[in-house]
Amino acid sequence: MRRDFLKWCASAGLRLVVPTTLFEGARASEDRKESATYDGPYYVVCNASGGWDTTYLMDPKGVNGINRLYQQGDILTDGKICFAPTAKHISEGMSNEDFFAKYAKELLVLNGLDYSVNNHAPCSRYMATGHLDSLAYPTFAALVAACRGPECPLSFLTFGNYSATGNLVSMARVPYIQSLKLLANADSVQGIAQHPYHDAFVSDHMDKALAEQQRWRASQSNLPRRMRAESMLYAAQWNSKSLTRITPHIPKSTPKDPLSQQAEIALASFKAGVCVSANVTIGQFDSHQKNDEDQMKLLPRFLSSIDYLLRRAEDLQIREKLILVIQSEMGRKPTYNKGDGKDHWSIGSTMFLGPGILGNRVIGSTSEGQFPVALDAQTLALDPDNGLRVRPEHIHAALRELAGIDAHPFSQQFPFKLKDEEKLRGLWG
Amino acid sequence: MVRTLLSLLLCVAARSDVCTIARADESPAAVAAPAGCPAQSTFRDSWIKVGERICLKCHVAGGDAADSKFRLQDVLRISADERVSAVTQNCDVFTRMGLVRDKDGRSRLIVKATGGLDHGGGEVLKADSTELSVLQEFVDSLKRKPTETHPAQVLDTDDLKSFFDGVDMLSDQRLLRRVTLSLAARLPNASEQHVVDAQGLAAFESVLAALMKEDAFYERLQEGFNDIFLTLGYNGNGDDVLSYNHFQHTRHWYQKHNLDHVPAKERQRAKYKLADQYREALRREPLELLRYIVEQNRPFSEILTADYTMVSPYTARGYGVFEELQTEFQDQDDPFEYIPTKLKALKHRDGKVQPTAAGDYPHAGLLSMFQYLRRYPTTETNRNRLRGRMYYQHFLGVDIMNLAPRVSDAAAIDAQYETPTMQATECVVCHRTIDPIAGLFQDYYNEDGHYGPRKDGWFTDMFGSGREGDDLPEAERWRALQWLGEHTVTDPRFAIAMTEHVYYILMGRNVLRPPTDIDDAAFAARRRAYLAQRELIKHAAKTFTDSDFNLKVVFQQLVVSSFYRADGLSAVSLRAERLAELDDVGVVRLLSPEQIERKIVAVFGKSWGRLDNSYAILYGGIDSREVTERLTDPSGAIGALQRILANDVACKNVAADFALPPDKRRLFPCIQPDVVPGTTDVTAEQKIRAAIVHLHQHVLGRHDNPDDPEVDQTYQLFAGIVAEAASRGRFEQVESYFCKSSGQAGPRDPDPHYTLRAWRAVVTYLLRQHDFLYE
Repeated sequence: MRRDFLKWCASAGLRLVVPTTLFEGARASEDRKESATYDGPYYVVCNASGGWDTTYLMDPKGVNGINRLYQQGDILTDGKICFAPTAKHISEGMSNEDFFAKYAKELLVLNGLDYSVNNHAPCSRYMATGHLDSLAYPTFAALVAACRGPECPLSFLTFGNYSATGNLVSMARVPYIQSLKLLANADSVQGIAQHPYHDAFVSDHMDKALAEQQRWRASQSNLPRRMRAESMLYAAQWNSKSLTRITPHIPKSTPKDPLSQQAEIALASFKAGVCVSANVTIGQFDSHQKNDEDQMKLLPRFLSSIDYLLRRAEDLQIREKLILVIQSEMGRKPTYNKGDGKDHWSIGSTMFLGPGILGNRVIGSTSEGQFPVALDAQTLALDPDNGLRVRPEHIHAALRELAGIDAHPFSQQFPFKLKDEEKLRGLWG
Repeated sequence: MVRTLLSLLLCVAARSDVCTIARADESPAAVAAPAGCPAQSTFRDSWIKVGERICLKCHVAGGDAADSKFRLQDVLRISADERVSAVTQNCDVFTRMGLVRDKDGRSRLIVKATGGLDHGGGEVLKADSTELSVLQEFVDSLKRKPTETHPAQVLDTDDLKSFFDGVDMLSDQRLLRRVTLSLAARLPNASEQHVVDAQGLAAFESVLAALMKEDAFYERLQEGFNDIFLTLGYNGNGDDVLSYNHFQHTRHWYQKHNLDHVPAKERQRAKYKLADQYREALRREPLELLRYIVEQNRPFSEILTADYTMVSPYTARGYGVFEELQTEFQDQDDPFEYIPTKLKALKHRDGKVQPTAAGDYPHAGLLSMFQYLRRYPTTETNRNRLRGRMYYQHFLGVDIMNLAPRVSDAAAIDAQYETPTMQATECVVCHRTIDPIAGLFQDYYNEDGHYGPRKDGWFTDMFGSGREGDDLPEAERWRALQWLGEHTVTDPRFAIAMTEHVYYILMGRNVLRPPTDIDDAAFAARRRAYLAQRELIKHAAKTFTDSDFNLKVVFQQLVVSSFYRADGLSAVSLRAERLAELDDVGVVRLLSPEQIERKIVAVFGKSWGRLDNSYAILYGGIDSREVTERLTDPSGAIGALQRILANDVACKNVAADFALPPDKRRLFPCIQPDVVPGTTDVTAEQKIRAAIVHLHQHVLGRHDNPDDPEVDQTYQLFAGIVAEAASRGRFEQVESYFCKSSGQAGPRDPDPHYTLRAWRAVVTYLLRQHDFLYE
């Protein structure tokens, strides 16, 4: 039955998480104590939820009344990256000046991204999965977790944003870093390691019994949904034992801002080898009113949190394994409304940083009116007349290549069906 | 702003006056290959992958292309006995169009579909699409003699009656346990077991009827509907729903409430408690309306048409109506005793009174409740469109944002038109439907959910108030939401949506969506599964409608359905296609943190109490505000919590149970800790196995024989632990300090044979199993 089930999964292309190791896990569990350590790369999708104003970040304009806080001549550059000046307009967080001075050499900026629609829900889904019209597609973070570390107990951590998994992997929510301490010592009273509930040999007996039961049940005929649930339950409990590895990496103090808190949870999990990817997010970018005021408050916070994430990754010595996708689900319109806000705009930008990504580069562009300029997918040079409008599926196809999962069966289950000439060749440099 | 919409928009909008949003589930229909249709197998493929998904959007009665020669029958909307005829007709239409060739020899069917010959719908199939290949295959097959290459056959894949062949159903007793735990948070009682033994499935009507009078059922009902409506999650304090403008003298009544009867040192705490309970009571009002409607067997359509609201003694004070209602309460100090009442028209602190016909607030069920309105607020730019969207999702089952189609150049459209939502076809197609609904909410134009029309009048750059082609009559303006509610409950989509809500509550997941990926090898299988489920939903919805919208009827229908009872496979090996069909069959639901807590109470007699607040979120629960979707698969975090739960619940209950007289025990009524396996007592194993059988039944709901393999496994665990403890020679002769039967006080429980700890391990082992943690 087990073989039939796996064969069926493959042939039917069903979106089921049944890593063969889960079935084998029962047998293997007798001679291993916890799941293998995942050693990177680690993926973090940093999301500015609500729609950021890219013209106050990496796609500055300063013309046509698009920006009230600066003019075209005020635009700054660091290396090849242009950005809007913000230092004079912010009271907290990190200015663009400081952020790009520190990270421009590592950053790949992509401007002129066409989200195709401009409502939050579909845009979030599209940006997260690369597919606009399907509710089934997994987010990149979930997909890479499923491909790279399905046995990690917190393989895919999410703190918000669109987080569909395609049924490939479980998503984990860990709202507070203190929760990790409890989870790390689940077999001890009040999480105190010195007070185990059971003697060690008793725990071994229980583990063996559960493994035997899982093996026996997997050999029985049952409904697909039941089989999947049984295996996922067993895997969840078994793999959760490796959460003990997190304990040394839980910070003594907790940062105040939400995104940095999320970053700490993700980083501790990465360092412990129990996590592949994380969605971190902060909201309220939807600046329909007082756009400049809101964006000057939120963008610096966002950049500051990213800076915090990278600094802490440095402290934990995993910085060189960290890949960041810095994004939002949409941009802001090039005109102000009556409330000094900016409404939704279906054109935006994204930034990338990490191993395998050549920095100090800007791919794509928008016009002075903030319309996308098409590019040649083969050369990445602008080609307004015959080029390609870069959309999320193009980025996701490239991300899959970067992660080395484009040929993975899970990726094949959720294809983008791009022609070769539509693939962004050399995007990562 | 470009507001795109849906492939599920029936695109009558582009050229007609009315845009109707169709549910995504209304397009595919069961289709049997008609006897008189040539090229049957290729037609069937063409129909399910192209015809009903694409052509039918316009080429149907009432559609944009209803007058064309290529007019099709919507098989879903006709009775089952007419379907064969309808499919035959559709095949005939396809065939005739397919056989017509242009001068280049191309089929008219293909040319039209790809946008040629001035096809009104333009290019509906891309040149390199699978859909076009499918259609081309059909056209090509017409050149051949169907009887030679496609022998007449009745395709059996749409015979839904056989859908559950080979699927084992839950025994009636196990179904009873599932139902009582799920809906009443308790184990079955002897009376229920007896009647189910005697009457089988037929007994569930009476069992459920009685069960649906219990408080626990209403707690579950409210919890389930809050998952859907999320009204508990509105922003701010509970009393923020009452506006300063209309309730300035009463909304903070608790601040001046006389608490002199409370000792001085406890007064501040009492004041806090008073405020907390008042706020909670306000927050619960929408869910109390649902409870009242169902409990009183009133038409569930009243969630949109009730001309009353629910108040408790506490919330009545907030509204300023306590004095007139106080005699109607049984206990005037009970913050959560709710009664229906009608509010008067709202009077602004400037003296202006809300315009009404008779001086009463125009209640319209949930629609006019401040809590619902605050949960889904508006803004200057949103203009109540969020409310329009939620209206469709909550009450008609249409999720507008889920399937937004791509726009070729959204930014250009946005820039090209002054008012894209009224001028650009891509935008109009949605906004013509959404904006009139938004307009109906115009009297609640603020982010707080309070009553208050927009100062400058309603927007003129939006389509006028109304609903799907019906304009709101000016005379009805003051009662716009009542008008909306009345129109909604007569819409067949309302009954379907409510049935689907009950399905969600029972199954823990939403109904299937029609499959869209025709390249998926399992497309046909998924479609059949979808259609089988649709039959259930449609049937239950019809019964619901026929019962004058008695929601209990839907529970009755779904609980005894094969979808709810499916429990296993009788066949040893199944084809991949069949497995794909059965992919979603069976409840198999990870219990929510609330359900787990209730189950612990039902099984052990006392709560665990740790799956609340942040642990609830960690365990996949929701807070109704930021986290609004429950996790359905266990992560490692959940796995760790399950281990904690199993360890701790066993710790708290095993020694405590043994400390009771046998006839009071829940877990070990028939065994003592001195029964030790492997001793000279030849009956020991028999007694232990009997104890395990009881535990399996009580904790897991399994009905195993003493020699069942599962019992063997549990026995081996117990015996193995006791044996190893003995072989180790030295161990503490008492149970753990933390697992004492007496709690914190008292001595540790003696455990000279290590059996107490072994039984604790057994219970821990059982609590970690699927049978306990899932429904």
